[in-house]
Amino acid sequence: MRSRPYRALVAVAAVAALTATACTAQNQAQQKPKEKAGLFKPGSEISYQKYGKDYPATKVKDVPGPCSYDSISRKDYSGQTLKIISHAVPVIGEPTQLHAKQFEDITGGKVEVVNVPFGELHQKILTPLQAGQPAYDVMFYPSLWIGDMAPYLEPVPQEYLDTPGMKDVTEAYMDVATWNGKVVQYPVDGDRHYLKVRTDVLKDPEWKAAYKQATGNDLEVPKTWAEFQQIAQFFTGKDLDGDGKRNHGSAEVTKRDDLTFSAFISRAAPYVKNPDVKGGVFFDVETMKPLINTPGFVRALEDMVKAKSTWAPGGANFGLGDEIFSFGGGQTLMSYSWDDAFIQAQQPDSRIRNQVQAAPLPGSSEVYNRTTKSWDKKANQAPYFTWGWTSAVAKASRHQQMAFDYLCFFSNEANTALDLTIGRFGVNPYRYAHFDPAFWQEQGWEKDVAESYVLTLSGMEESRNRVFDLRVPGVNQYMSALANGIASAVAGQESPQQALDGVAREWSKITDQIGKDKVQSAYRDVVALEDNS
Amino acid sequence: MDGLRRHKSMFLLPGLLTLFLIIIFPLLFTIRVSFSGWNVSNPSMDFIGGANYTAVLHDSRFWASITRLILLAGGTVLIQYVIGFGMALLVWREVRGRRFWRVLFLVPMMTTPVVMAAIWQTIFHESLGPANDLLGMLGLTRIPWLTESAPALFALMTVEVWQWTPFMFLLLLAGLLSLPKEPFMAAAIDGAGTWRTFWKVTFPLMAPVSVAAVVIRLIEASKLSDSVYVLTSGGPGSSTETPGYYLYIQGLRDQQTGYSGAMSLLYLVLMSVTLTVVATLLTRAFKLKGDS
Amino acid sequence: MRSRLYPVFKYTVIALWACFVAGPFFWAMTTSFKNANAVQGGPTYLPWLQYEPTLTGWRNIFGGAGGVDVIHPFVNSAIVTVAASAISLALGSLAAYALSRYRFRLGFIKNSDIVFFFVSQRIMPPVVLVIPFFYLLQWGGLLDSIPGLVIVTIALLLPIAVWVMVDFFNGIPREIDEMAMLDGCGPFQTFVRAILPNSLPGLTVAAMFCAVFGWNDFFFAFRLTFTEVQTLPQAVVALNSSVPPWWTLSAAALFGVTPLILLAIWVERYLSKGNLSGAVR
Repeated sequence: MRSRPYRALVAVAAVAALTATACTAQNQAQQKPKEKAGLFKPGSEISYQKYGKDYPATKVKDVPGPCSYDSISRKDYSGQTLKIISHAVPVIGEPTQLHAKQFEDITGGKVEVVNVPFGELHQKILTPLQAGQPAYDVMFYPSLWIGDMAPYLEPVPQEYLDTPGMKDVTEAYMDVATWNGKVVQYPVDGDRHYLKVRTDVLKDPEWKAAYKQATGNDLEVPKTWAEFQQIAQFFTGKDLDGDGKRNHGSAEVTKRDDLTFSAFISRAAPYVKNPDVKGGVFFDVETMKPLINTPGFVRALEDMVKAKSTWAPGGANFGLGDEIFSFGGGQTLMSYSWDDAFIQAQQPDSRIRNQVQAAPLPGSSEVYNRTTKSWDKKANQAPYFTWGWTSAVAKASRHQQMAFDYLCFFSNEANTALDLTIGRFGVNPYRYAHFDPAFWQEQGWEKDVAESYVLTLSGMEESRNRVFDLRVPGVNQYMSALANGIASAVAGQESPQQALDGVAREWSKITDQIGKDKVQSAYRDVVALEDNS
Repeated sequence: MDGLRRHKSMFLLPGLLTLFLIIIFPLLFTIRVSFSGWNVSNPSMDFIGGANYTAVLHDSRFWASITRLILLAGGTVLIQYVIGFGMALLVWREVRGRRFWRVLFLVPMMTTPVVMAAIWQTIFHESLGPANDLLGMLGLTRIPWLTESAPALFALMTVEVWQWTPFMFLLLLAGLLSLPKEPFMAAAIDGAGTWRTFWKVTFPLMAPVSVAAVVIRLIEASKLSDSVYVLTSGGPGSSTETPGYYLYIQGLRDQQTGYSGAMSLLYLVLMSVTLTVVATLLTRAFKLKGDS
Repeated sequence: MRSRLYPVFKYTVIALWACFVAGPFFWAMTTSFKNANAVQGGPTYLPWLQYEPTLTGWRNIFGGAGGVDVIHPFVNSAIVTVAASAISLALGSLAAYALSRYRFRLGFIKNSDIVFFFVSQRIMPPVVLVIPFFYLLQWGGLLDSIPGLVIVTIALLLPIAVWVMVDFFNGIPREIDEMAMLDGCGPFQTFVRAILPNSLPGLTVAAMFCAVFGWNDFFFAFRLTFTEVQTLPQAVVALNSSVPPWWTLSAAALFGVTPLILLAIWVERYLSKGNLSGAVR
């Protein structure tokens, strides 16, 4: 009489077992392309218009080389499918899709792209990698995750490292792509933080006079965070453009668990990166003691709390998009973050086109010296090479050649030139060839604007006092602890010192948990970059 | 008797076993992982004893978020119940455009929470969104919706009320529509007014549906996380951080699988006990009222 | 008692609530016709009068350049939702009927404990379950597949189905069962012929909840699929970039809710026409 339920149990178990057999181990050899006739003449004109009428009509020449339209179209990938994960549309996600469509059209292969919001990307990439599931062949992600990703990545083969496009990538971005001496990330974007200001206000004689009268200082592009604060303070609440609405001094990325940690490091860099002190900014690399609660960082957080009064409404909860809308929409005078805001402001339909200027991040008049435990009274500048988008190929991929060909095509000279001009794409200069004012003037930028932009970017490359991201395993944990501390100080729940003391305690805990040696050896690489050793 | 026993099992077991088979592995996995140091750079089932549990007990962020949740979940569910019941009563009987109202009032529930939260974020955007603009038109001062704690909590509750009042509304409307007619006729014969009829007849009759609806909403509301994530990321400071969101940060953003496993299980136990107590209390309260 | 002011009060309250409910949809609708400039210019509501409308947002979700494809995910979502809802409703109403009509006892476990077991599946925060579900589906070769999603979705929906149906079956008098038995029906026939037709309103409500939760599940679908199977919420969330295109996002959100609005109309028709009160007595 009791047999029936048991039989049901057995039946269900059998179904479960059957589904298990569907799992087939696929471990075939790497697939290679066949050869076919090319579709492009060398040097033919390339434009995106065919893929959508919202794309600009700009045309560029296909530059001959192994990654060109011509060369890639000679490879026949029909029958193969490439799986790609990328950021949400449009930032980097849209170029991923667009180049996937083009790649399909010229090689006959199939490319599937999935787009994922920033907050989910890390887990969505890493879970399958750790579980040994070959989910994606190509992954686009922020370069600071290299410490978590590196064990699962296929180093870029020599033939791709030898392409002219790769050889032209700036030294800083090759460094960013390298892990334990191997290039494991394929550079497709260069990112840094810099300052953007409205020149129609800062160069206006009437405003200059008014500012001089009020503060006794000349109105210029701020060189230090103190000047930045004074200017922002002065202009907050005034109507700068005569549209009847009040304007504000500064727009910053402040949303907790968004990208606020990058904004904070930008503010801290000149206070904490002392060119005379080696051995780490975030940690003392020898002892792995966190330095996040040292006076330099505390000063930066105090600055940020003070700056709150100069932010636009809602400015304490701005994501990157809000910051761009605020500066790009003409609401605020200054902002500092990635290139996106600047390129967006320079789009043909922007209301502040050619009224903006790029400048290096503000510096400081003194810098903390952690060996002498005192402030060195000297002007200091420290460009922050914050994370940008990068790409990589999974070790477990069975389509590695197709994957690298896709990335090589993605970043070929013609595509990159067009991508750079579309603000929402989030592709920013990362080759020496991109630092050419003439290219930007062709896009309709005024000479001054183009030159300020190019000089700011190339100047960062020349600096020897650079700050890089904390590129160690578990970087997300460190940064979310930091973001939590910043948020509580900005919200007034704790003093900056208390908040950062809390962060330091969290950081020590995280280091213990992940393993001191693991973090230390990864951090040594970062320190080596910063110390130019 | 044998036949009956066999049949009752035949009815129950397919559903029970299906759920059991789907859920058992994840549950056991979670229990096991909560005793391990599984994290982002070391995804393995080592054994570290109860260290994770001790850590959770000392995690002030977690406990602060639990306290906050009581306010958020309790408050929103109460508001949802009052509005949902009120609206169900209003469109229950003769009202013009009854069908239109009923459909309209259901629609918010049909939307995807993460997606709608993104839309709400644009609504509460302090300079580009309509919330402050409308206040301005009415001559009121602008409100820092997402950057000060009281308005941020209010904004969050608004989104929750908007999204989930329809859930209450539907359950309560279905309940109202299936009430028997006799008690109402009797009340009418007694000459009871609208108000008296409601308290003496409608409300007691609706007690079982009400309790069930409130409890299920409490369960769902306790997981509050999507709208927090999109609207405020738990800010300003930590003033809108809920356990659901904190778990998300620890478990998925930072991939502290072991630690968040311990936290989830503690949360599960805590919630099961609380909800059982709440359900019992509610049932008792409604019964007393019905008897008097 | 009924004052003249009552209808005024009634319609005012209804209208106010209706505005609150419809407001976000109106905002999404108007935003979907904007572009970056119109958004940056501050809140505006009326096309042509306040801003120049464009179709970019809508073009983007139907194969345009700067968007995502929504058609394919739409089909996937529909398949997963319908399959998981149907299975959950079938298994759930059987189980609920048993729990409502028979007494179970296994040690200290009683009926209410079994109901609690079902419902408690919804208490567990989903965050940690994702990892084991990932390994479970990987073991079954069901990652990134529709059957895999259906299985996981059943775990989400079955508790709801059981919970709603137990309540409704409890409301159906036992006399109906007894009459059917007297007519010579077996237990199963009784259930199908006498009970189910009388509980259609309950089934409707349960089906609606299943559809809503199944259609809108983002959490699991997102983490258990890679590239081949995308559901609609995933396609919409793929537009939530660090610089979000408000217009495309709004268009996609509106597109995603349409099928469920049709469902709401259908459910409402059932609620009105079926005159539920008649069914139960």
